[in-house]
Amino acid sequence: MIEVVGLNKSFGDKHVLKDISAVFETGKTSLIIGASGSGKSTLARCLVGLITPESGRMLYDGRDFLELSNKEKKELRTEIGFLFQGSALFDFMTVEENIRFPLDMLTNLTKKEKQMRVDEVLERVEMPTSHKLFPSELSGGMKKRVGIARAISPQPKYLFCDEPNSGLDPQTSIVIDNLIHEITVEYNITTLVISHDMNSVMEIGEYILFIHKGDKWWEGDNQKILKTDNEELLSFVNASGFLTNKKADL
Amino acid sequence: MSIYRKRLFDEMVSLGLASLGIIMVISLFMGAVITIQTAANIDSAFIPSYTIGFTTRQSTILEFSPTIMALILAGKVGSNIASEIGLMRVTEQIDALEIMGVNSSSFLILPKIIASVIINPFLVIISMFVSIGGGYMIAMFTDIVSVSDYVYGIQLDFRPYHVVYALSKAAVFAFIFTSVPAYQGYFAAGSALEVGKASTRGVVQSSIIILVANYLITQLFLI
Repeated sequence: MIEVVGLNKSFGDKHVLKDISAVFETGKTSLIIGASGSGKSTLARCLVGLITPESGRMLYDGRDFLELSNKEKKELRTEIGFLFQGSALFDFMTVEENIRFPLDMLTNLTKKEKQMRVDEVLERVEMPTSHKLFPSELSGGMKKRVGIARAISPQPKYLFCDEPNSGLDPQTSIVIDNLIHEITVEYNITTLVISHDMNSVMEIGEYILFIHKGDKWWEGDNQKILKTDNEELLSFVNASGFLTNKKADL
Repeated sequence: MSIYRKRLFDEMVSLGLASLGIIMVISLFMGAVITIQTAANIDSAFIPSYTIGFTTRQSTILEFSPTIMALILAGKVGSNIASEIGLMRVTEQIDALEIMGVNSSSFLILPKIIASVIINPFLVIISMFVSIGGGYMIAMFTDIVSVSDYVYGIQLDFRPYHVVYALSKAAVFAFIFTSVPAYQGYFAAGSALEVGKASTRGVVQSSIIILVANYLITQLFLI
């Protein structure tokens, strides 16, 4: 479980995160949604330690990230997997080397155990024969799959996915969403998906946090969002056509 | 540790062996041209023709091989390093390393610096031999200077300290033309345009720093 309490972050005069508090539960896929520039990526970057917030607490199963020593932070980072918007695969490594990299850096597994783990996660993301390919030889969807495989290879407790559907066609988006959701349930991990893609990601969201101009504007689940009277959220959801489609279905 | 060792060897290949071809071609022509120009500038009958070989050797060892090669590598290797690391920055690959708890500068930059500092003196030694060989070919295929005079000249008053001085310069210059572009690439932000600017800054700054360092090292160690 990840608990965020009163998180604040500014860049110069711009207050990007304003007193954000939320609880992201284990075994559930949580969504942080909002328009571009709303602060959702900044929140994720604060949570994984890429940006230091001015105030607030970030509790990973009770461990306050900001209070940890460097050694403890490094240990905690071994429990975090991150899928980047552009996948961020290392260009100079093959698919296999990309996935083995966190195992080499973060674990004491033997060579054989690492190989088994690489094979297992590649099987899990349905790319069992792509070991020797370089990122430049992969499509956008394949890169996302490898990105997920790399993120889950060290068996993290916490998985962050930043815009997992960006640049993907609707069909591939659904496949990637389902994969993230299945992995969350299967490995019982805490998953946070940062997105503005309502149509596909809402299908897997068990907890939704809507951020608007750095403020926590709304929280709930994908059932409650259909009944919301929050104007900003309605405007955001309607812009994607999601609510229209859902109501038509009902 | 093994992953760092692999990175070091990979960098030695990409920064060193991959530059061998251009180093050899430039050195060959450089040595040939130094020989012709020296011969063209010796008019007096009182200056012996073995001076041509002597001048070619001294120019090559003291200046051309360590400094000119460093400036060429600052362009070739420096722009490569700045754009590679800069691209990793803008495509979030460096963030990915940081999230994994990996010291990204140590993982990406240190192997490049160490590899370059180790391999560059060897490139300079090869450049010296090829450059002096270029002069030898001029002596062999033209009548500018006889082969025996050229060979006598390149052996005359040889001081091993000059080679030590040149190789020391090579190591210092290697540090400069890897670390400066790496710094520029590492702190590149935004778009491909910024990566391009960082690459240009890296090459320009490292070239200027090499020239200043060349002056300081020469003043300190040769006079």
